[in-house]
Amino acid sequence: MSTLSDLWARFCSVILRGREERELDEELRFHLAMEADARRAGGAAATDVDRQSRLALGGVERTKEDVRDARGTRLLDDSLRDVSYAVRTLARSPGFALVVILTLALGIGGTTAVFSAVDTVLLQPLPYQEPGRLVRLYQHGATKPGDRGVVTPVHFLAYRRSLSSFEHLAAVLTYSTTGEDLTGGDRPERIQVLPVSADYFDVLRAQPVLGRGFEENEENGAPSVILSHDLWERLYHGNPGAVGQALVMSGTPFTVVGVMPAGYTDPMAPGVAAWVPLDLRPGLDASNVDNHYLDVIGRLRPGVTLARAQAELDALGATLARQYADASDMRASLYSLKEDVVAPASRSLKLMLGAVGLVLLLVCVNVATLLLVRGSARSHEFALRAALGGMRGRLVRQMLIECLVLAVAGEIAGLVLARLAMSAIVTLGAGSVPRLDALTMNPGILWFSLAVATASALVFGLLPALRAARAQPIDALRAEGRALAGAQGQRHVRSGLVVAQVALAFVLLVGAGLLIVSFHRLRSLDLGVKPDQALVFELHLPEARYDFTARARFYEDVTTNIEQLRGVRAAGGITRLPATGPYHVWGTTPLTGPNAGKEHGGIGAQQRVVSGEYFKAAGIPVLEGRAFDARDDASVPRRAVVSTTAAAQLFPGVDPIGQRLRTGGFDWEVIGVVADVALDVEGRVAPTVYHAHAQFVGDRNWALTQVVSTSGSPEALLPAIRRTIAAMDPALVLYRPMTMADAIGAGTAQRRLTLIVLASFAAIALLLAALGLFGALSYSVKLRSREFGVRMALGADRGAIRRLVLRQGLVVAVAGVMIGVGGALALSRVMASMVFHVQPLDPGVLAGAALFILLVGAAAAYLPAHRATAVDPRSILQ
Amino acid sequence: MADTRSELVQGTLEMLVLKTLALEPMHGWGIAQRIEQLSHDVFLVTQGSLYPALVRMKRRGWITSSWRITENNRRARYYALTAAGARRLEQERASWHRASSAVNDILRANVIPATA
Repeated sequence: MSTLSDLWARFCSVILRGREERELDEELRFHLAMEADARRAGGAAATDVDRQSRLALGGVERTKEDVRDARGTRLLDDSLRDVSYAVRTLARSPGFALVVILTLALGIGGTTAVFSAVDTVLLQPLPYQEPGRLVRLYQHGATKPGDRGVVTPVHFLAYRRSLSSFEHLAAVLTYSTTGEDLTGGDRPERIQVLPVSADYFDVLRAQPVLGRGFEENEENGAPSVILSHDLWERLYHGNPGAVGQALVMSGTPFTVVGVMPAGYTDPMAPGVAAWVPLDLRPGLDASNVDNHYLDVIGRLRPGVTLARAQAELDALGATLARQYADASDMRASLYSLKEDVVAPASRSLKLMLGAVGLVLLLVCVNVATLLLVRGSARSHEFALRAALGGMRGRLVRQMLIECLVLAVAGEIAGLVLARLAMSAIVTLGAGSVPRLDALTMNPGILWFSLAVATASALVFGLLPALRAARAQPIDALRAEGRALAGAQGQRHVRSGLVVAQVALAFVLLVGAGLLIVSFHRLRSLDLGVKPDQALVFELHLPEARYDFTARARFYEDVTTNIEQLRGVRAAGGITRLPATGPYHVWGTTPLTGPNAGKEHGGIGAQQRVVSGEYFKAAGIPVLEGRAFDARDDASVPRRAVVSTTAAAQLFPGVDPIGQRLRTGGFDWEVIGVVADVALDVEGRVAPTVYHAHAQFVGDRNWALTQVVSTSGSPEALLPAIRRTIAAMDPALVLYRPMTMADAIGAGTAQRRLTLIVLASFAAIALLLAALGLFGALSYSVKLRSREFGVRMALGADRGAIRRLVLRQGLVVAVAGVMIGVGGALALSRVMASMVFHVQPLDPGVLAGAALFILLVGAAAAYLPAHRATAVDPRSILQ
Repeated sequence: MADTRSELVQGTLEMLVLKTLALEPMHGWGIAQRIEQLSHDVFLVTQGSLYPALVRMKRRGWITSSWRITENNRRARYYALTAAGARRLEQERASWHRASSAVNDILRANVIPATA
């Protein structure tokens, strides 16, 4: 307590220095006045009182000095003086100070921001109770154990009934078609709705704050809905009376049964606004063992391991395989939910983490080089001050404070930079990287990077001062010029650091180069469609007002009406756009041709339902036979169009036209073959079977994404299309209109995020390496200017000296690049999984990076060489 | 007036200041006067030793200070005893008593020459 109050008093007296001094002054004047009063009262002569009092009291200045000592602030005073001295010293070499501060800021800011992102997305557990017990269940073919496919309702119900390893098992339907229109407000609005099985919220241990969860007897399409906290606030203004009220969605009234707590984020569909019961009635798709469409998650019972649950699942799977011959080769696998949720992003985030580590290392090396070089340059000053009687302790303390001033300035700038970088990462990655919206600055990495930065600044800043303090001043002074250029040992350390800088920068540059090339190849990939001049948007028809004949008519009519607009080439609809991933993978078997009746003749094929002139609108050429037209309606036998790959796999070696296949519980006749399109942004191709909407409308309420190809700008067409649709049905929502290029480019957003982060790291690294190279070389040239002066005075050619310096710089750069190639070799294993259509050791990228480094090295060496020889030798030698 | 006053016994100033402030809060000049009066003008308290001592004691939390107006209308810094200061005074008083009675015992003793 008394120590604390002591410290506080000392602290206050430093801060309030001026006031304390004024008060002391006043107190002593008061003392004098009282003394004088007393003397006057004692009868002293008025004229002499002041002088007498002063004499009696003793020296005021001496008293003040003693009082100041008694305040115990001497050490603090000295430190403050050191700080202001340090700031003045640094201000005399602003270039050096700025480079060190910038280096630290970039290192701390970049590291903190990126590591925080990695931590939020990768390392932090799911925000649910006991997240370690949450698992994801996938189905896959017996021959493809790594596949993560969705689950059929038949299998899900069997799992839920029989598996004892699970406390709860739940299914959700995450297909993007699960949206509903809210037409009650001023204008129609579309919200994302997630159909879930009854124990979904039990699995997550997240219960509604108002009302209740779903019951198993509601798994029949019951019109119940649970609202997200946001939607409840928006629609009912937080009124608890909302529970029990009716909410009309897509024309059907649903009863609000519950409201989820604020801040609840859904692991399966983060932006979802409401939940409805999943329809699991037998007789619908739910009886089809070949129809995979459910995402299944579960919570293991306490003490049950993933392996034990998997064993039980395998045993049940064998029973089910005997029970359902059509799905005899289906298997199922369990994964940790956390691993599954973050899997798509984990590789790129790990790569970023590696890049962060390299940058941090580079920062340390850079700071070390700069401080050591500066320390050597000042060894003369240190020696001189030591010779003049400067206390060594004081000298070291002053260097310490100088380094601390640098470190603190760099760290403050780093914090600001981290904040900026984090909001940039959130903006770039929004929507494509899961859980990024919960990004917060990670205190652990912040302290870590602050500690690393401070430590490297202190260690490398103090080394020269300590050496100077130990050395005999006279040696240092006598050696002057030679010692300044650095003893052989010191120079080797410095060169080694610069080589390390160059090598690190080279590795980062190669990594960024590979990703940039990958990204470019990805963007210029032929996806099999012409996305540049097409507009896409979704149209969802509420079942309450549209029965299947009305839906069939509407989707054909809307195409015809849009095609009449000026500038429209063709229009059509499809259940899922190309290059946006797999969707409706159904078992498909040939009924004719060489593979008919064979045991493994069937394939899993992508199913797409199309309307209007879809193939023409998307730019997919019809290679054989014909596309669908008005003839293919409900009145004729079912007809299918297949992709080239599907034709080759189902009907190898024969003309596919006229062949028959079976899928989705029906038989289809092949009437045409179209070119393959990409399944995803990486250009993978999968066998695809197309169905005409008019023939398949009874299966379900297909939501067709409309594709409109135009001769002009797609956006310009939007108002006319809006009017056309409003004229047909004003309550319909034209949902998510965008160019087709944007719609199928969304898959590249995550790659772009990685790329931008890595490219900025590479740019930072290059900048740091260039600064380090330039700083080290220019200092050593400056230190040798006396030697150069002597050489020139003795007749050495300026050019020869320039070449000498240039060669020195290039030797260092070349050595760095050679070591960097080794680093890139080590990196190639990590990069192999990240790059696309480019070798991890692509010679072009390696050569480009090397050339870049050498150019920077040459520039960094040339400038000081030029400066060194531009001076008049006499001015140096004087 | 022949000056028979002497400097304080080493180390007693703080105790005497605490004692003075235990009576009532007082400004620096008043403290010096009070000590001189109470010691019947034997002790002399110089401002050069008083003010540094006050600063030290304040730092240790034994006294606090505040500015007030004196009876003859001057602004002065008044010092007051804290609870910690009161405890400190008791400690110092006790150890002073022990020390001074020990010194008195020695001085009063009849020295018996050591004989065989």
